[in-house]
Amino acid sequence: MSARLITAGGRKVGLVELGKGEPLLYLHGFADMHATRPGPFPFHETLAANRKLIAPAHPGCADSEEYPDLMTVEDAVFHYLDVFDALGLDKFDLVGHCVGGWIAAEIAVRHPERVKSLALIGAAGLFVPGALIGDVFMVAQPARGVEYADLRAMLFSSADHPLAQELFPDGRGGIDDEVRRYQMLRFGSFIGFKPPYFYHRALINRLHRINCPTLIITGEKDAMVPRAIANAYAGGIKGASLQVISGAGHAAHLEQPQAITDALSRLHR
Amino acid sequence: MTPAQLYCWHFMAYPHLPADFDEKYDTGWVTVPNHLWDAERSRGLYQEYIDQLAYADRLGFDGFVLNEHHQNIYGLAASPNIVAAALTQATKRGRIVVLGNLLPLHMNPMRVAEEYAMLDMMSGGRIVAGFAPGGGPETFNYDVPSARSREQFWESLDLIVRAWTEDGPFAHEGVHFPLRYVNPWPKPLQKPHPPVWVPGSRSPGTLIECAKRGYCYFLSSRSHGSATGRAKDQFTEIIEQHGKKYHPFRMGILLSVYVGENDNTARGECEEGVWYFLKNCLKGHLRTEGRQLTFGPGVPYIPTKAWRQYLETSKPGRKLLGDAENWEELESSNSIIVGGPDTVYERLRQLIDQTDVGNLLIQFHLGNMSDEITRGSMKRFAEQVAPRLREYSAKRFAERFPESEEEMAAAGVGA
Repeated sequence: MSARLITAGGRKVGLVELGKGEPLLYLHGFADMHATRPGPFPFHETLAANRKLIAPAHPGCADSEEYPDLMTVEDAVFHYLDVFDALGLDKFDLVGHCVGGWIAAEIAVRHPERVKSLALIGAAGLFVPGALIGDVFMVAQPARGVEYADLRAMLFSSADHPLAQELFPDGRGGIDDEVRRYQMLRFGSFIGFKPPYFYHRALINRLHRINCPTLIITGEKDAMVPRAIANAYAGGIKGASLQVISGAGHAAHLEQPQAITDALSRLHR
Repeated sequence: MTPAQLYCWHFMAYPHLPADFDEKYDTGWVTVPNHLWDAERSRGLYQEYIDQLAYADRLGFDGFVLNEHHQNIYGLAASPNIVAAALTQATKRGRIVVLGNLLPLHMNPMRVAEEYAMLDMMSGGRIVAGFAPGGGPETFNYDVPSARSREQFWESLDLIVRAWTEDGPFAHEGVHFPLRYVNPWPKPLQKPHPPVWVPGSRSPGTLIECAKRGYCYFLSSRSHGSATGRAKDQFTEIIEQHGKKYHPFRMGILLSVYVGENDNTARGECEEGVWYFLKNCLKGHLRTEGRQLTFGPGVPYIPTKAWRQYLETSKPGRKLLGDAENWEELESSNSIIVGGPDTVYERLRQLIDQTDVGNLLIQFHLGNMSDEITRGSMKRFAEQVAPRLREYSAKRFAERFPESEEEMAAAGVGA
């Protein structure tokens, strides 16, 4: 694994690279690399078994510089076009989780020619009536000043999941970890808070532009991004398949890495 | 020399919560279910509160303070400008301080510019124009993106002041509120514009922006210990960096006061209202029980660097004002000053000594306090505390800030 800083569009971007081979771009979510830990989880390690996984931190997250002009998901897409140029990336496999999945879908509808395959894990981004995306900001305010059970329950299959407890402990975690989580919420606030709330109303009508093999993955117990949104992605993208990870929550890739990497290895064959 | 300016602040709390509210509900803010609103019992409530402020005018307070809150039981003035409009008719002398309109919540800042201008005209130039960016709850009230709110705030405020001072029509080429024709009718009566007050909680960004523009900084903290003095020192330093001098009317502080007949009776008279305020009104705001929404990672409006500093210098789950478990603990927080006239005078005199802040914004009505109790406290304050406080502060400010008369006139006081 290597971590480095690059300059893209005049801004510093921190990224983690893992493995060798064809490039795979990974865009992170809340319970994920860069947002909770600096380095990869076992999921990312396995994903990099026969690919070169490139995982940039979103603007303002981890080592990436905050991007004051970032206001909408559109700005995030153009930010990533600068990142691809800086890395000399032309065509790649694209995987995104949560907000990262939303950005991945927005990239894919605009530049289908650059995306070899698309995998969305618990991806936000679509408006489906009656299926509001969970209010991660509200539950990020600790109950009784110190308890993050509601945040853990939104991001994992259960508030008691050991990994949830480790990444989102009650009280105060290490200051660097706390800052990383704050940075991710701030990024989410920049692009995802003003209505639409982690969705872009126009996206659903653009999904037909995606023409690569696509896999939509959702945790059976995802408490942040409702199943209806995964269904709408799968229904809107030609030939996309939907995989529901039994027993997993929103961070299905952290809870059941093997189930997802197996599915992804078929997609990336 | 101008003495300390004594304002009567009314939050307009909802006073009819069920007795088991604290047991049953985890917050008084944002998601507090509105089936609890009892319209019949609340008939006449706004009138009662407005009448209390009109009474403050007759008692000789220097002004009245209102503020904006939404979807909560702490403050029912969702649109403080409506209450201010009533006060333009119900009062004759005092300044009407709206502290403030929450700019990022309003689609178009020009509406705020126009309403303040109307209020200034309607009141004969008595408006103090307060502006605030909103805190955590407001993020949820109106879906304001926290990380953007400060920048939206300053763009709006600068536009409003420009609209008041520069002839229109002109185009505002802003990021958040671009407007082709800025040309408000009416314009305010006060020249160059009504005094501008901005609240903050010691964040350097707000202090710097206020210092640059010459605005009054209102420290929104409810507890007054050494931090209040430090805020004033910090502000003084920043003002000096911008080539100006601090004077007492560049700053205001919020305090809650109950003046009883004497020290022995005071507590008994106000205690019900005080606990209602602490346990119910502050739940969701300044109380850790339940979920407070005012500050924290879910409302990430402060820059990352400032968040890191906060983490490095604070303990998780530290007690907030509403967590006070008994009267002694409450007393030691120096947030609610309760006593007979002599005690209250002495405590406020000490506060002036410690801070040299000239604008004292005083909350008399707490929680479900009755009209009679509230008025009794206001009257004793006006008759037995205020005269001494004015005399003392005028003398102290004259000694310590001898050259400030002119600047104070510019800040809207002493003229």
